[in-house]
Amino acid sequence: MTADVSPEVCPHAANPPRYPFAWSPPMEMPEALRDVHGSSAMEVTLPSGDTATLVTRYQDVRALFADKRLSRNIARPDCARISKDNDLFMDPHIDPDPPKHTQVRSLVTKAFTARRIESLRPYVQEVADQLLDEMAAGPRPAELNEAFAFPLPIKVICKLLGVPAEDRDQFRGYVDGFLAVTKLPPEEIGKARQNLWKYLGDLIEAKRANPADDLISEFIRVRDEDDNRMNEHELHFWCQGLLIAGYVTTASQIGTGTAVLLNRPDLVREIQADWSLVPSAVEELLRTQIMGSSVGTMRYAVEDIPLSDGSVIKKGTSVLLSEEGANCDPAVFDNPFELDIRREENHHMTFGAGIHYCVGAALARMELQIATESLLRRFPSIRLAKPANELPRALGGFMEGFTEIPVDW
Amino acid sequence: MRVIATPSTCAVSSLCVYRLPTVFDQDEDGLVLILDDHPDPTLHEELHRAARACPTNSIKILDSD
Repeated sequence: MTADVSPEVCPHAANPPRYPFAWSPPMEMPEALRDVHGSSAMEVTLPSGDTATLVTRYQDVRALFADKRLSRNIARPDCARISKDNDLFMDPHIDPDPPKHTQVRSLVTKAFTARRIESLRPYVQEVADQLLDEMAAGPRPAELNEAFAFPLPIKVICKLLGVPAEDRDQFRGYVDGFLAVTKLPPEEIGKARQNLWKYLGDLIEAKRANPADDLISEFIRVRDEDDNRMNEHELHFWCQGLLIAGYVTTASQIGTGTAVLLNRPDLVREIQADWSLVPSAVEELLRTQIMGSSVGTMRYAVEDIPLSDGSVIKKGTSVLLSEEGANCDPAVFDNPFELDIRREENHHMTFGAGIHYCVGAALARMELQIATESLLRRFPSIRLAKPANELPRALGGFMEGFTEIPVDW
Repeated sequence: MRVIATPSTCAVSSLCVYRLPTVFDQDEDGLVLILDDHPDPTLHEELHRAARACPTNSIKILDSD
């Protein structure tokens, strides 16, 4: 079948559904995901009002994550915008495609090898234990996000990058604004972005003057020794990206995943009876409870791309690769809407695939495993202190975890 | 049965190293290395899982030598 006779994906859908899909009820995967696998892709309306093609089947999503015909450079005038008020990741000075991407990524990967991540394990355990001690000594019920889910990954990424952990309240606010899609007015988003950029600029200058054994110092060293590898703007951009991606995602997942688990005391007891279930439980929570929708996977088709159902994504189309669609594709996962903490073949798409596969995935997994096990060991009878369906979701932002998770024990 | 890996396409997920540390390792940049290209038959099922899980399809299993 050739491209010119193949049907185009949803050529003239009258009212494309809004995306991200609604979380209703908040503890379960969005209902709309049950209906998305009848075709390879569907047209959706983004918060900006622009439309994009959402690719939904596992087979297509996985293949397209690795497809060079999809560019990750979305700073193009005709590419859909995610939000009207926030040009998220649309920096015209940054090219996240090869060969530039390859040059920068290889600087980072050496900090994320299994051996380097494992060397951090005792530190992560120590931080987790300390936070849980503080939680035990503090007021009840405790708020899990503030007491545990956020501070843990923030301390870890700060150590890895060389960011002072005591700055966390400051940069957390900026990052929250940076990742706003619709939840803040445009001026506040703009101010937060400026503040974050300035914060990173000051930090880079401080590190340049006093280098240490950390990732930002290493970036600066490479930048200063070899101008072709990374210019100053890129240095700045990628340090910012690592700081943001390094904690918000893991923090949201620790909070949201734990809330989902605590909503199922039977599963908590199962894990407490057999701690070897922790890794597969963590994977299943990653699969079923993506704390963000797939708005971060925006791509741009630089050529026509045929899909598995015979339709074609036309050159010039803005494409979202639906991680959550792939993760509940009944062609790949048995009972995809069921939380099965013993699931064996769980090659979910939550960390993506291909050359942009989440560089921090091994770190995130290690933190999630330690967080889950430490929490359930330290507080054997921990429970949600509020009905699960009343937990508020963080809507209008990049990360849609729960904003408050009161727990008691 | 023989296992081969392509470091040039590796995205450093570390999944194979965690799954089968006696078969896979990583070089200084994190790229996949094979420690044992003829793994024991008891590991074959895990090997196939590792190949399926690799986010960049960088692991191949050959039935014959």
